[in-house]
Amino acid sequence: MRKDIRNFLICGFILVVVAIFPFFANNFIIRFATDILMFAIMASAWNIIGGYTGYASFGNVVFFGIGAYITAILMEKAGLNFAVAFLGAGLGSALFAILIGLPVLRLRGHYFAIATLGVAEAMKALVQNLEITEGNSGIYLPVLNLSVKAQYYFFFYMMLGTLVLTLLITYLMLNAKFGYSLIAIREDEDAANSVGINTTYAKTMAFALSGLFTGFAGSIYAFQQAFIKPGPAFTVHTTVKMIVMAVFGGMGKLFGPLLGAFSIEIISEILSNYFLVAHTLFFGIVVILAIVFTPKGIIDLITQRKFGIAYFLQNIREHRI
Amino acid sequence: MMAIGMSLIWGVMDIINIAHGSFIMLGAFTTYWLFTLFGIDPFLSLLASMTVLFILGYAVQRYLINFVIRASAFITLILAFGIEIFINNLALVMWTADVRKVKVPYGAANFSIGNYITIPTIRLIAFILVIIISIAFFYILNKTNLGRSIRATSQDLDAARLVGVDVARTYSVTFGLGVGAAGAAGTLWAILFPISPMMGGVLTLKSFVVVIIGGLGSMLGPLIGGLTLGVTEALGSNWFGSTYENLISFTILVLVLIIRPKGILGGTD
Repeated sequence: MRKDIRNFLICGFILVVVAIFPFFANNFIIRFATDILMFAIMASAWNIIGGYTGYASFGNVVFFGIGAYITAILMEKAGLNFAVAFLGAGLGSALFAILIGLPVLRLRGHYFAIATLGVAEAMKALVQNLEITEGNSGIYLPVLNLSVKAQYYFFFYMMLGTLVLTLLITYLMLNAKFGYSLIAIREDEDAANSVGINTTYAKTMAFALSGLFTGFAGSIYAFQQAFIKPGPAFTVHTTVKMIVMAVFGGMGKLFGPLLGAFSIEIISEILSNYFLVAHTLFFGIVVILAIVFTPKGIIDLITQRKFGIAYFLQNIREHRI
Repeated sequence: MMAIGMSLIWGVMDIINIAHGSFIMLGAFTTYWLFTLFGIDPFLSLLASMTVLFILGYAVQRYLINFVIRASAFITLILAFGIEIFINNLALVMWTADVRKVKVPYGAANFSIGNYITIPTIRLIAFILVIIISIAFFYILNKTNLGRSIRATSQDLDAARLVGVDVARTYSVTFGLGVGAAGAAGTLWAILFPISPMMGGVLTLKSFVVVIIGGLGSMLGPLIGGLTLGVTEALGSNWFGSTYENLISFTILVLVLIIRPKGILGGTD
């Protein structure tokens, strides 16, 4: 119990530091931090379905894109304000997750991964062809009527709020029966089924939660950019980034994806400062090295308090043939 | 053709090779450089690109993927993604983003059946080569000792090791063969279409679709899957317009997965 209180205080302290941080930073840094928060939301949302439930979704970007497009359509075509569009985006993405999840979540392993990838690509192609989404030319959104500095604050706190909500819901979920059902599904779905867990319901709800938060992130992103196109909104690279961040930080751990988003974004930013042309090349090397040496994520490295060569060698010994 | 190597790697080792398209790209550039610098006929360079890519694939599996092979499936997936970023950007730095084309003197030659059907000669040769390579893979997997150890390892890793199969080597050879097939696909691609360092991503996605439609683990599956995809895409874009091509192929992918996850030919092994 005492450990819980200590952890709670540490989290509270970090949150306060992050919350007052924009007052001491310039616009560029705030914008960069907003991006980190956005990826932290998406990686954490991916963690619900991929990390806890064990269903590696390779199409989570579809919720991001749908969230962005619902926001754009509600604000631009229906003239609604951002609050309504934001909620609509989240709920719409969650609803889509339920509809698509019911058939697709019956597949397991790689088949599920490829099916979700297929859903995301099909959705991109659909959005490129529909009239209401204005196809490949994209949609402009109304611009937020605030000063530049205030805009930066607004989007930073929107992302921060959504991230806290995501982590809070995940935390509550983990300590409820629902969270245990998900982990049971990850460990052995047939066994989970036979002890009376409604696996279809649990899986679909996990997918819907994942869709909800990713949809929120997409909604804020669309409003921030004030212009969205199908290509960038549905790119498979966003999905891959979510997964790399979740795995790099630590899959199936509450703060793993957050840590992953933070370190991956910082690493790629530093690399692009030093190597103009070849920075993605070095990013590839970082991903390869991280996977080979710390497959359990850096959060494992921190909580185990085992540094040095021995830890890395042990990881390799465990997983090589 | 593109999908044979992917199907092999996926079926035997349960690795989804996201870098597959990048290996195809490397095969295509091998052909391009051999042709441009030394004037070697692209069809002859097929052997070269297969060999080069086999060695590369063997090394990648032996000194990289084998280290994490027993971790969860995502891990290999992301490792392959890292390899993809690395290869694509290395190619981009070395060869720039220019789109290039192998111009063979006989590229425009045609071959006619009757008065109506005209087949470009290079496409016909490419088609025949695909058939030959598929048969060769079928033979290797089913009739040779190497094929037996590959199949044994795929069925039960520990049992295969008990009866004396060098598992690490078998995995490396399998990956090498799969990547070698990607190299061959790259050569044929370079003969028929323009190439650039970033061409891999789309090809990886297409290979996924073909593997899934055809079914895993059989050597005939990718051929059937490839034909199905090619025909439906061509017909679909004729009826609905070419912008719907991707929508059609990915809808087919999802439908096949939901209705018959093992693919058209899967589940026979």
